[in-house]
Amino acid sequence: MAHVKLVPVGAPRAEALDAAAWARNSAALAERERLLLERRAKVQAGWGATYAERVHQKGKLTARERVERLRDPGTDAFEVGTFVNFGRAFGKLESPAAGVVTVFAKIHARWCVVIANDNTVASGSWWPRTPEKIERAQEMARRLRLPVVYLVDCSGLYLPEQSQSFPGAKGAGHIFKMNALLSAEGVPQIAGVFGDCIAGGGYMPIISDRVYMTEGAYMVIAGAALIKGAKSQQLSSLDIGGPEVHVHASGCADVRAPDDETALALIRADVARLPGSAADYYRHGVDAAEPHFAADELEGLFPSDHRHTWPVAEVLARLVDRSLFKEFLPERGREIACGVARVGGLWTGFVANRQGVVEDAELRDGARPAGILYKEGIAKTAAFSRACEADGIPIVWLQDIAGFDIGVEAERLGLLGYGSSLIYANSTNKVPMYSVLLRKASGAGYYAMCGLPYDPVVQLATPLTRLSVMEGRTLAIATYRTKLDADFEIAATDPEERAKLEQAMKDTEARIEGDMDPYKAASQMDVDEIVRLRELRPWLVALVEMAYQATGHRTVKNPRIWSLHDLDALVEPR
Amino acid sequence: MFKKLFIANRGEVAVRVARTARAMGIRVVGAVSSADRGASWTRELDELVGVGSGPPRESYLQQERLVQAAVQAGCTALHPGWGFLAENARFAALVEAHGVTFVGPAPRAMDLMGLKTPAKRAAKAAGLPTIPGSDGPIRDEAAALSIAREIGFPVMVKADAGGGGRGMRLVRREADFAAAWHAASSEALAAFGDGACYLEKYVERGRHVEVQVLGDRHGRAIHLFERECSVQRKHQKLVEESCAPCLDDATRARIGALAAKLAASIGYAGAGTVEFLRGMDGSIWFMEMNTRLQVEHPVTEERTGLDLVRLQLEVAANQPLRLAQEDVKPTGHAIEVRVNAEDPARGFAPSPGTLEAFDIPLDAGPGRVRVDTHVAAGDEIPPYYDSLLAKVVARGATRAEAIETLVACLSRAKVVGVRTTIPVHLAVLASREFRSGDYDTGSIPGWKE
Repeated sequence: MAHVKLVPVGAPRAEALDAAAWARNSAALAERERLLLERRAKVQAGWGATYAERVHQKGKLTARERVERLRDPGTDAFEVGTFVNFGRAFGKLESPAAGVVTVFAKIHARWCVVIANDNTVASGSWWPRTPEKIERAQEMARRLRLPVVYLVDCSGLYLPEQSQSFPGAKGAGHIFKMNALLSAEGVPQIAGVFGDCIAGGGYMPIISDRVYMTEGAYMVIAGAALIKGAKSQQLSSLDIGGPEVHVHASGCADVRAPDDETALALIRADVARLPGSAADYYRHGVDAAEPHFAADELEGLFPSDHRHTWPVAEVLARLVDRSLFKEFLPERGREIACGVARVGGLWTGFVANRQGVVEDAELRDGARPAGILYKEGIAKTAAFSRACEADGIPIVWLQDIAGFDIGVEAERLGLLGYGSSLIYANSTNKVPMYSVLLRKASGAGYYAMCGLPYDPVVQLATPLTRLSVMEGRTLAIATYRTKLDADFEIAATDPEERAKLEQAMKDTEARIEGDMDPYKAASQMDVDEIVRLRELRPWLVALVEMAYQATGHRTVKNPRIWSLHDLDALVEPR
Repeated sequence: MFKKLFIANRGEVAVRVARTARAMGIRVVGAVSSADRGASWTRELDELVGVGSGPPRESYLQQERLVQAAVQAGCTALHPGWGFLAENARFAALVEAHGVTFVGPAPRAMDLMGLKTPAKRAAKAAGLPTIPGSDGPIRDEAAALSIAREIGFPVMVKADAGGGGRGMRLVRREADFAAAWHAASSEALAAFGDGACYLEKYVERGRHVEVQVLGDRHGRAIHLFERECSVQRKHQKLVEESCAPCLDDATRARIGALAAKLAASIGYAGAGTVEFLRGMDGSIWFMEMNTRLQVEHPVTEERTGLDLVRLQLEVAANQPLRLAQEDVKPTGHAIEVRVNAEDPARGFAPSPGTLEAFDIPLDAGPGRVRVDTHVAAGDEIPPYYDSLLAKVVARGATRAEAIETLVACLSRAKVVGVRTTIPVHLAVLASREFRSGDYDTGSIPGWKE
């Protein structure tokens, strides 16, 4: 039958892992997740209650309150870029979430990307990386053809740091190029102008299909202060670029609204005029369903020590509908699990790094560690990736990988070539791909598994993520290789010299360890969001549904004619 | 219509489904465990596939094996019967994923009705009266107590994931609340890994009334009127009848319409049962919905002249319901008793063994007798499965006539080799309480253990 024969995967919690390991893993993770929640709350508070109060006094809502009122009641919103600029100081100031909230939210049952300047952080001005964060959200919308809603309330660039956010390829002006590209590709954009929108903030709404303005809002190329300086005129910014001017005289905005609530209601009504989601059509008559084994149980499955293993089937069982999964080519390239399942009722491809020990394809009865890539696994992944591309199945990459196999045998087998074939496949894929850095994301393995340089639409991290070219210890050895003996022990005999070298190696290791921190990666936008393990399934349900929302822009084959069946047909026993 | 049907079940229900299917020209493939191989009832099936050894978890609960058997035998539909996997949504999804039609509702409907809290919410949304209680499970004792005070004692404390009486406590006075809460909660934690419980007002001297519903895959649903199953022993039904003696015609029509409305509101396709509890004061409350064909469905068939298995198969093949609500016109009265291989004198302990004689007369009057069974004299009753031997249904023009017929039949019934529940049934049928209709689910009328 040309249909995918899903089979049950996973086992109840008690059979999947012994209670002691479960308790240990959960406890270690709980500590890290507590930190995540604490940091998230801190970022979401912006500059704090005083600034929120200031916004309220002007009769306005804060950026986060606006997003709350915009989205469908009772639905979850999925924020990206929470930790951009996390831990980074500009003089005495910090810029929580880089002063802009970017979030996937459902409006009238349609997933939208909402980009809201945070008016509790320096009046929504743009910090270093704020433009990049906005452009990243625009790019996600472009790739998925999701409507974009801009909630603009931005006093322009944060000028003391202008050199970092103005001139570069991803400088603030690139936001408007993205506005133009989205428009050119037919992605709906709606803007609400809620406050001071000066310079860049003034440009951001204009390309949108519809522009709503509240009575207190204005858009200007230059504000009153600058005009006073340049032209000695006494005017308010509202006189220069308020709704009286832009709705009625200039035509740069379309509709005036008395207040934030009314503007948001008008924007919601506009989204409702767009075509509805096609996701239910692509469910092919099958309803969305929860995993048979609760997704919350992911919290006990991962040892926090990255050298310890976890069962891939149990993880997949807690991510996919009814814990039903179909693995492709399960007997070959065992270090990788490739397969399809439904997520929220929609077909999704999974590529996951199997952990532990697998059989050695090159050596009869041999075994070798998984969690790295060998020839067959790479070839299988490339074939699977291409098949998903041909069939229009979004791919989720679940990474916990130490890298490629190395050594004489690896080179002789041509891993460089096989790896490049996989790189080529992933690079040219147009199907939406999402990567999840479960734990290790190391070296070329991170690239082969569709790490950020390969343009996944969204890349998620967990509190366990370690992102690096190599582990700290390995790098310390590589750095001081000339001073080590054949067993990588310090060669010097002089105690003082030994101590110095020991300290230097320790420092290198510690620095790399610090760099692997997911918050650092999130701060510099190497991952889009850090999520709790129990949040992973809801995230995937949302992301996959987004991939099937719009019709007409990408291939979605019906499962009857999947090229995946060809792979399957050739390996099925005759 | 399907050409070949797989029955993922055994015994009486396998025979019941096979009879209708074969009458419809459908070939029937049965699953059999090694303990059932060679049993006389398997002769009612066209083909047999072995699915494992005697214990159900080695055979009739082996999901993948059953699906594989259905596919390999070339079946295009699978009937789950009742019990075993009949209400397992994951199994239904697995069956459908392999291109085999599951004869039952969509897995989503099973999910919804399989858990107490979502089921109650759906019923409430459809306008059914639900027993006052907590909206969902609670973990906090103080919160639970304040809800208990609000709805008033007596209250029931029940585990959300519970069943079969586990994690269930009746609390009559506030003073007993703390102890009952702790007992139920820790029992629930031990049994289901979750100590959350919900609260419900306890309905004193309740009567069990259920409505048979039937929905198609095009959004329509009708009801086939009610059954009363108030003669129970520890939540196990012993006697079922229709009409329900405890209802008047107006209530009968009202709960029928409500049940059909619930079915339609959740897009329910196939045969299902909406259970209600009737309080002493005549109040009616939604209890739960069973998303399968019920053991006691012959009671409804006898009064309506409909074949529920045929209707199930038609709905599964996407046929729109041909019946309109006003086409359903039940007549007379029907009573069913479950003849189980159990020893009433020894706490209804299972009584397996070899049937030396098994004869239930069909010619007992004045009404009509129907016997649904899968056993015959000479059969071995294996110890692995439920103890049902036969369902004896009597139909009469009136309730009195149905009782008289059933008494006549059971008095002449000859079952030798195992102990049965027939003496209990005769005692119930003879009792003043049963005859007058004045009894409840708390005890068996006319029988003292």
